[in-house]
Amino acid sequence: MKLHYLKAIYYFGNQAFEGLTTLNIKEHMFILLNYFPAICGRFRRTESGRPYIKCNDCGVRFIEAKCEKTMDEWLEMMKENASIEKYLTPNQIIGPELAFSPTVLVQFTKFKCGGMSVGLSWAHVLGDAFSAAEFMNTLGKVVADEKPNRHINLAQMKTKSTNTKSPIKIMEDPLSIKRVGPVGDNWLTVNNCKMEAFSFSVNDTQLSHFQSKISSKGTNFTPFEALSAVIWQCIAKIRPESEPKVVTICKKSEQNKVDGNNQLISVVKADYPIVEVDPSELAALMKNASFDEREKIEIAIKKDDGVSDFIVYGANLTFVNLEEVKCYEFEYRKQKPVYVGYRLDGISDSGAVLLLPGPPKNGGRTVVAILPEDEVIELKSELKSEWFMD
Amino acid sequence: MPEMFPKFTTSIKLKYVKLGYQYLVNHIVTFLFIPIMVAVSIKILKLGPEEILTIWNSVHFDLVQILCSSFLVIFIATVYFMSKPRSIYLVDYACYKPPSTCRVPFSTFMEHSRLNLKDNPKSVEFQMRILERSGLGEETSLPPEIHYIPPNPTMEAARNEAEIVIFSAIDSLMQKTRIKPKDIDILIVNCSLFSPTPSLSAMVVNKYKLRSNIKSFNLSGMGCSAGLISIDLARDVLQVHPNSSALIVSTEIITPNYYQGSERAMLVPNCLFRMGGAAILLSNKRGDRNRAKYKSVHVVRTHKGADDKAYKCVYQQEDPQGKVGINLSKDLMIIAGEALKSNITTIGPLVLPASEQLLFLFTLIGRKIFNPKWKPYIPDFKQAFEHFCIHAGGRAVIDELQRNLQLSADHVEASRMTLHRFGNTSSSSLWYELSYIEAKGRMKKGDRIWQIAFGSGFKCNSAIWKCNRRIKTPTDGPWQDCIDRYPVHIPEIVKL
Repeated sequence: MKLHYLKAIYYFGNQAFEGLTTLNIKEHMFILLNYFPAICGRFRRTESGRPYIKCNDCGVRFIEAKCEKTMDEWLEMMKENASIEKYLTPNQIIGPELAFSPTVLVQFTKFKCGGMSVGLSWAHVLGDAFSAAEFMNTLGKVVADEKPNRHINLAQMKTKSTNTKSPIKIMEDPLSIKRVGPVGDNWLTVNNCKMEAFSFSVNDTQLSHFQSKISSKGTNFTPFEALSAVIWQCIAKIRPESEPKVVTICKKSEQNKVDGNNQLISVVKADYPIVEVDPSELAALMKNASFDEREKIEIAIKKDDGVSDFIVYGANLTFVNLEEVKCYEFEYRKQKPVYVGYRLDGISDSGAVLLLPGPPKNGGRTVVAILPEDEVIELKSELKSEWFMD
Repeated sequence: MPEMFPKFTTSIKLKYVKLGYQYLVNHIVTFLFIPIMVAVSIKILKLGPEEILTIWNSVHFDLVQILCSSFLVIFIATVYFMSKPRSIYLVDYACYKPPSTCRVPFSTFMEHSRLNLKDNPKSVEFQMRILERSGLGEETSLPPEIHYIPPNPTMEAARNEAEIVIFSAIDSLMQKTRIKPKDIDILIVNCSLFSPTPSLSAMVVNKYKLRSNIKSFNLSGMGCSAGLISIDLARDVLQVHPNSSALIVSTEIITPNYYQGSERAMLVPNCLFRMGGAAILLSNKRGDRNRAKYKSVHVVRTHKGADDKAYKCVYQQEDPQGKVGINLSKDLMIIAGEALKSNITTIGPLVLPASEQLLFLFTLIGRKIFNPKWKPYIPDFKQAFEHFCIHAGGRAVIDELQRNLQLSADHVEASRMTLHRFGNTSSSSLWYELSYIEAKGRMKKGDRIWQIAFGSGFKCNSAIWKCNRRIKTPTDGPWQDCIDRYPVHIPEIVKL
């Protein structure tokens, strides 16, 4: 997961940060970081070359920025061109010097109207989106002077996956990951084309319309399965030469609540052409995809002591179910965010689609698609024409 | 094993001999006095009571004689008391404790250094080596503006830092001593590298609304020994003004002086200097005699500026790129050693017991007359003082002094731990060290303390205090939350 980066932007109205100086904001972050010592550390390499985090109190990089537009103007601009959102988050990768590269960066951008956006850059190697959201929510709790119920201890033992009794066979790499050339100390995915993100919201009525359209033979599909099936088919339509027959699905794991990369990674294979099939069949495939590939991934990594480099997001077209990420629970001085944007950076060419909860007043879902830039317009028109979405 | 025994017994014998010698010489007056008294009293007793009475009656008690002799006695007594210098007491002092949000762990310092000096990897490596060997810990603090990449030293930021540090220290001091601003008669502020107009002392007068007839002084440019220079100045002014209190503030403002270039000799101060400040209250009032913590015994100042090398060894200048920084020359330690020797030569006769002074005199005569190859006798200052506060200028300074004065690790513990916890806070470091000794509960009534400070110029100043009363282990102060973790072992090189 080390080549992937999670970017989250929380937009707050003027009351949240009114009258606060940089020092005030930083003070709360100091208290917050006491609960996350691993985030304050930096990477080093062991003698065998495997990277590890040294918890040396180096901290989180803090960036102050100003924007000359008001927040409403900005959100309008984003509707046309979502890629400007990258200016609100820090975009630094880990490397070339591992020991001096922060894993988490925070950017506070002040808008002309007094609103503030909090941009978080989170290295996926530290944890998944659920952990990142937990980090920000804890900040909200600290600001409200509540004591977060986390233990300040480094020894967070992950429940180890059950060891296979069979010896490690030289197996093929699992389908969900892709090996990439040694990236050395520059933890960056190399793409053949520029990736662009765009997002659209699906409100509750549209969502239920979807679900009913797709449900067949009485099986009900979750919003994730329904939307993913639809988008899979649309993407297959715009990639006629290389239909994505294999799709990776990442879901929240039901297990331990410890921070880290706990997502369930599974793979769905379709043996028939996607374009012609009914979306409900695709949704059914996704529903039944329950084989957790994480063990296979771990074995593949262990083959050379964790030294070689892999990617997960974008190895195949990836659908990430982030419906349960508690991103709207981040309250700063009792103010909830007006809007929350999420992105993933470091996605490989096959692209990824994230499903996030929608803003509380609209309900529904927000879909973020990260695809090669020439596919974006085609996908937008495809979705508009087939499914009457904007 | 048998070889060890003779050495062991001879060393014990030597120790007892030395002890005996010291006891004899230091109490020589008593030793001479007692036999004389005994002889006289025996003689008197031999005479018998009637003889004593006749001698008593034969002494004429003329009125005029009585008046004259008593007048003489009273006159001499008055002259003595009037010409005796006023006793100066240190009522209390307070040190500024920087918040932990300003702390600079090693990793942060190195990361910032790497980002600020990205074109000079050699300079970054040099800084890392200095930091590894510096003796600093992970909790030393830099002001908030220096935490920016690159640092953002504006004048306003420097004033802010000055306000935070100085006002916190003074507030803390006023709370401890319960003194009111209107009662302060003399104000001295020393800060070497930041000297705005109006001065920092005017800033203090403005904030606390001090009296309009206050005697205020602002000392700048005088380096890390300025704290003791301020004490000396306060003592002299307090001699002239009876019944007065003096407030002294010693600090160093880091914000405008963080070197932003890449010359190696000028990067060293960046690694060592940290935020800190202290406020001290001196008084010559009778009423403070019982509540004061310390009594000032001596202040000795030595200035080696007449020597060119000493003058230039700590020199503020511009580097080839025009960035201003402080250049530390390579012979700093040698010059410091010489300045110390000068200072000791003056201090020695004032504080050393007679035994040590005699020994020193004998070896001096011996070296001059008999054999120049004799090792010079270094007087044992441990007999004159219970506690030593050596300015925490850097690990090298403390090591050098420990060697020169033959001090044990316990004696320099306060200095080393202050360097570890607070870094080099310049003129206020002596007060953090004193605070450490108190916090450890080692200060007893009657203990004598020697504060030594070095500074640019090159100056070596010493102040000698005597503990005036029993000091309870303080529950506030800069060491309050961490004293239990100290002393720590500071390795020669910390692996970063």
